[in-house]
Order: sequence, then structure tokens, then C-alpha cells
Amino acid sequence: MSNPYARIARDGLWDNNVVFAQSLALCPLLAVTGTATNGLGLGLASVFVMVTAGVLVSLLRGIITPQVRIPVFVLIIAVLVTLVDLGMNAWLHDLHKVLGLFIPLIVTNCAILGRAESFASRQPVARAAFDGLMMGAGFTLVLVLLGAVREIIGSGTLFQGAGLMLGEAMSFLELTLIPDYRGFLLAILPPGGFIALGFILAGKRVLDARADRRAARALDGAAPAA
Amino acid sequence: MSLEVHKGRAHPVYRERVGYQAGLLGGFSMVAAALLVMGNIATRDAIEQRRAEDLLASLGQVIPARLHDNDLLADSLMLTREDGSEVVVYRALSGLDVAAVAYQVTGQGYAGDIDLILGIDNRGRVLGARVLAHAETPGLGDKIEVARDDWILDFDGRSLGDPTDAGWAVKKDGGEFDQFSGATITPRAVVRAIKGGLEFFDAHRDGLLASAVIQRTDPEEAK
Amino acid sequence: MSANSTTAAPHAHAPVSVQRTMRLVMLALLPATLFGLWQFGWPALLLFVVTVAAAMAAEAASLAVAGKPARPYLADGSALLTGWLLALTLPPWAPWWIGVVGAVIAIVVAKQVFGGIGQNLFNPAMVARVALLISFPLEMTSFVTPAPLFSGAAPGLLEGAAITFGAMPVPDAMTGATLLGEVRTELGEGATLSQVLPSLFDPLESGLGTIGGSLGETSALLLLLGGLFLLYKRVITWRIPVALLGSLAAMATLMHLLDPQHYAGPVYHLLSGSTLIAAFFIATDPVTSPVSARGQLLFGAGVGLLIYVIRTWAGYPEGVAFAVLLMNACTPLIDHWVKPRIYGRDRRGEPLDYTSTEPRR
Repeated sequence: MSNPYARIARDGLWDNNVVFAQSLALCPLLAVTGTATNGLGLGLASVFVMVTAGVLVSLLRGIITPQVRIPVFVLIIAVLVTLVDLGMNAWLHDLHKVLGLFIPLIVTNCAILGRAESFASRQPVARAAFDGLMMGAGFTLVLVLLGAVREIIGSGTLFQGAGLMLGEAMSFLELTLIPDYRGFLLAILPPGGFIALGFILAGKRVLDARADRRAARALDGAAPAA
Repeated sequence: MSLEVHKGRAHPVYRERVGYQAGLLGGFSMVAAALLVMGNIATRDAIEQRRAEDLLASLGQVIPARLHDNDLLADSLMLTREDGSEVVVYRALSGLDVAAVAYQVTGQGYAGDIDLILGIDNRGRVLGARVLAHAETPGLGDKIEVARDDWILDFDGRSLGDPTDAGWAVKKDGGEFDQFSGATITPRAVVRAIKGGLEFFDAHRDGLLASAVIQRTDPEEAK
Repeated sequence: MSANSTTAAPHAHAPVSVQRTMRLVMLALLPATLFGLWQFGWPALLLFVVTVAAAMAAEAASLAVAGKPARPYLADGSALLTGWLLALTLPPWAPWWIGVVGAVIAIVVAKQVFGGIGQNLFNPAMVARVALLISFPLEMTSFVTPAPLFSGAAPGLLEGAAITFGAMPVPDAMTGATLLGEVRTELGEGATLSQVLPSLFDPLESGLGTIGGSLGETSALLLLLGGLFLLYKRVITWRIPVALLGSLAAMATLMHLLDPQHYAGPVYHLLSGSTLIAAFFIATDPVTSPVSARGQLLFGAGVGLLIYVIRTWAGYPEGVAFAVLLMNACTPLIDHWVKPRIYGRDRRGEPLDYTSTEPRR
């Protein structure tokens, strides 16, 4: 993988995914993913914080000394999250009513501090921003996937409330997949989140194992020819 | 760890001094505080506005708009219940007459308090009741939410004499209101809370209905 | 599989196999099961068959996914027993899909995901029961009054099928809460036990089981007989049942003496709900309970205590499933701290010192 940006994208979305590979950020993940829409909302807020935090930390990496870096990173992230919280409360109020409890949890999202420490503080601004974007996108992917699985099993719908969050234009996303569904509460409650996440992680490993096998076979096939 | 980042460069000696680091931390804290103050100022009015809208939305469910021509939030009263707790009463005024009042009542449900907003017209009849917050069992007790069941609409138009005192109970206890299959405690609590709200109205009828004229001599000025 | 094999080597070989254990447990469950099926009629029988069949199907499907041979694992009877136990804890006239969803949760989520037989941390039937209870509280708390087969009030086969498969609602006249639920509700309303209990609770009826309740849990007498049979056959040891029933009875007696108007006595707690089926058939599951003798005593006492606490002060009228799961979670901890003494060593694992008459330091 010669291109560093391709590497960053692959890491963030799949290989070193916040949830799949690092098992971080489980608290907000399990708390909000009752519906796909809530997952998307928290994901987008997280992306914003991760990109901005990455840029700021990278910009300031010249003047921050190793001794005080952690409190400074925490301060930066906390300010960003508080501003997002205030902004959403003021201008995206309906979404804030749903996610309000969890927005402050982004501060405790160790993935953000982790990326600031291990990536942004030692990379140029553009790469740090791209890394924040990709890590955030990978996190959002899991949030939406888990939210969709739990929403379908739990209430038989998909992207309920999307119109409320993204504007009326997006309300076509709201689907009722199973009409007259009785609902399966377990899926929406936290234990159901753990169970669903477990199955999704297992699914990821199956896909990885299959890809490895295919790569090995391709290598075997290529060797005699060369 | 991040020492390595700076290895290649020349390190100015001042970076190692405690004073620089304290200044750095202090500087960041001040910038952070300034940003938060600015963010707070920029959003405060909008957030206050949203809160008021939320409250108005729930009041609007129990007081029909046609009954009043005032701002429900502007003409509220503070009264004290028998048990010493305070209750905010929102009044719907038509001209200077109180057409209806709305206030919060609380019932003891299966899993904690059930908060309701209750609207009552000036003749003591229920205009509407809506659940604001509860922790009842999903699938059993949450039928008190109007979004899930129209059970709570049964209270519309009821008053202390209709049904009679014995009728203000769920059917299982010989009353007039349905219970839910599998959940008796939740509807019992709601029936009791609404009855308690009507009794409160009855006890404070004069104070609730009369004081508008005294307080608001000039409607324009009060705005 | 015998819970007795906790002593140190040398071990003598005994003709104990998974299959034999499962067969004996099913034999012990048979009287209570037949009684329940007779008492609750065709809908109960259909639900029982559907649940057991779904458990077997889920086991076969999981084995196929895992690439394990289906026949030997299916033949060991463990999936059959899990489905059986689950069916006994369901409301007898629950719709068919309750049994199917429960069986799939028990076999796939609670057992096969952990690696199949012998690997699960939690008792599969209890996991399924809890999952169903929090997901479908209405269906899982709609009990019926007994209507024995061929009696006037009992539905025929076709009517029974209509009830189980959802074509016909359960007649209102036949529904009711369990004894535990009813008493909890009345106490919550400020009633005292002396007003409530005489009309609801008859120790003789509860003992025989001619009351409303879960499919196979009503008859305390037949479950006790089955449990004694398992003890006699040495499939289980006395420790977990005795510790469980003992701690439950002790708590009930204590609280009853303190305030007899609000806390029912030990007989009520021992005969009601799932107490006996849990004591003999569920808490004694060798996979999910501790191996050492002292560990088993601790485990049983913990389950009994939790049953009492949940029944009396928590949100649900019956706490057996939650109590068993909570103690299942403690089992590795108990096994870690309470180890059996190894032959020739002391409790800390140090070799015994025979040469010196001085006490060891």
C-alpha cells in the first residue's frame, strides 16, 4: 500500500476500525443504536469532533510538549464536544432530544483521544484531518449497521425519524419493513446491543478469513506462473 | 512517546521549563474558557426558545388553541399543594377570563413516578391528559402514552362528578376505566393522579379562576 | 458429567454418559410434565411439541454452520432437554412463536455461540426465559386457570390449535395472573397478607399443582418426587437443592417473623412459582454450577437468597430465572476461590508435611 491516504482510509474503515479492531467507544455505541437514525446522528457528530480535533492537535503539535499533551488534548476535545452539544441543542433540537444524553459521552470516546495521541500529534494537518474523517466514517458505519440490525429486529422499521433529523427531503429513507410487527424489545434494550454486536464482529471475522483464504489461493496460483 | 516526533528538530531549551508548560496549559484553558463563553452566548437564546417551544407543545396537547388568546407561558401562577410542594399552573385566558388551566400531576406507577400534564376547563372538566415521562414496563404499561394507545383519551370531558367517586377507578376495582391486560398498577396510578388533579382544581377553584383580572389590569402592558 | 466427580485422583470409571444423564433427567421430569399437559390441555401440548422441535432444529442448524457432525450431538439429548425445560417454564397457552423464539435464543445465543454442549456460561433455558420475559411481557405473563383435558371447560384439539397458532384469542374468562403476581399486586395496593392470602393461597392446591402457572411448574409434589429420583440415581448431589431451598426458607421465615402482614412465610415461597423446578433441575445443571462441594453450597444459597430478594423487593413477581443467571455468572469466581483439596496437599496447594511434628508456618 504505497499511497498513505489509501492506507489511512483502509485502516479507518476496516482494518483498524474503532469498534471492529480496537473495541473502543462501546458505551456510546450500545447506548444510542436503538435505531439506524440515532446511530447516524451520533456518527456524524463524532466525525465532526474527530476531524476538528485531528486538525487542531496536528496544527498545535509544534508547541505542545509531551509532558502536558494529554490534558491539552482532553481540553481540546471537551471544548469541541461542548460546542457541538450547545449547537445541536439550539439548531437541531429534535435530534438533540434523542441524542442529548449521549453527546457529552463523545468526550469519553477513547477513540478520539487515541487518534489524537497516536496519529494527529505526529502527522501533518491534511493527513490528520483525513484520518479523523476515515476513523469517524468507520465508527459511523458500525453505528448505522448496528442501529439498522437492532431497529429491524426490534421494531420492524428502518431509519425511523430520518426526516426529522436530515430534513423532510430525506424522509423517503423511513421504511416499515415488517407491517404489524409486534416488536422484539430485547433487540432495542442494551443486552440486545451486545448480542447483535457480537454477531456483527463474528461476521467481520468470517469475511476477513475468507479474504485471507482468497489471497492465499491467488498467491498459490501466481507462484507457478512466475 | 511523542518525544520522537521532535527528535529531528532542534529543541529550544525553554520548552523544557516548567514555566513554559504551565503557561501552555494555562493559555489553552483560557482559550477554551473563552470559546465556551462565546458558544454559550451564541446559543443561549435559541436554546431557551426551543425549551419554551417544547413546553408549549405539550401544553397545546391539553389546551386547545381556540380556547385562549394569550401566551400560555406568560400567565402562569405558582400555587402550593396540601403537601407543601409547589405547582406551576399555566392559564389559558380568553380576554381576561380564565378559560382553562393546565398543570403537572404525578402518579406512583409500577416502576417509579408517572408525570402527566393535565388540562382542565373552567367548569372543572378534563380537556386532556398526556404523559410527559414514565418508566413503566415497555409493552405493558406504556399504553398510557397517546402514541401507543388512545386509552388516555377516555379521560377527556370527565370531571369529579362524572363518573361518581366510586367510578374513578379501573374496572377491576369496580370503576369505569379499562385496565390493560397484564398491567393493573400503571392505569390505577394514572386514574388516581388525574382524580387528584381534579380535586386540586376543586380545592383551589377560586384562586385558579379569579386572579387573572387582578393581576392583569392591562393586557397590553403585561405583554 | 456427574457433579460428584470433584475429588482428587485416583478416579474409578463409572458408566456415566451425557446421554444417560439426560435420559434420567427427562424421566424425572416426566410426571410433572404429563401433569401439566393434562391440566392445561391441547394448547399446552402443542406449545410443548413446537418448543422441543424448534430446539432440535436450532441445534441441527447451528451444528451445520459450525461444521460439526449433527447426529452424535443431537442424539445426546441436551437440546431436547433444553427445549423441554424451556417449555415447562412458559405460560401454557402462549402462542407458538414464543416457543420458537425462546428455543432459538436458548440454543443459538446461549449455547452454541459459546461453543456448544459443556461450554455455555449461562443456563440456556433461563437465558431464553429472561429474554422472552423482557421482550414479550404481555405474552409471558398471561396465564390461564387449569382446564384439564376432556373436562367441560377444556378446548378440543382444533380449538387448542387455534389458540396456540394465533387464530383465536384466549377466552377472557380463563386468563389470570399467577399466585406470586397476584399477591405482589395486592400488596402493592396496600393490602395485608391476612386479607389476601386466604382467598388466593391453599398449600394443598399449590402442593398438588391444581393452580394456574407455568406449563410444568405448578405441581410441587411431582417436581419434588422427580428431584428425589435424581438424587437417588446420583445424577445430582444434595448440596445445591438443599442450600437453595434452605436459604430461601430461612429468608422467608426471618422476614415473616419480623412482619407477618407483608412477608409471606416459607411454605408459600417453597411451593410457588419455579422454586422446585429450579432447585432440582435448573440450578443443578453441571455445566453452569460450581464443581466443588463448598462451591455448590455457596451457589445454591446465593440462588435462594436472590430468589427471595427479587420476588420481594424487585420489579418482577418471580425472580428464579434472574437469580440463576446471576449466580451462573458467579460460578467461575466461586470455582476460582473455592478449590477442592488435592490429595496429599493442603487447601493452599502446598504439599502436606508429614516429616515434621511442628505446625507449619
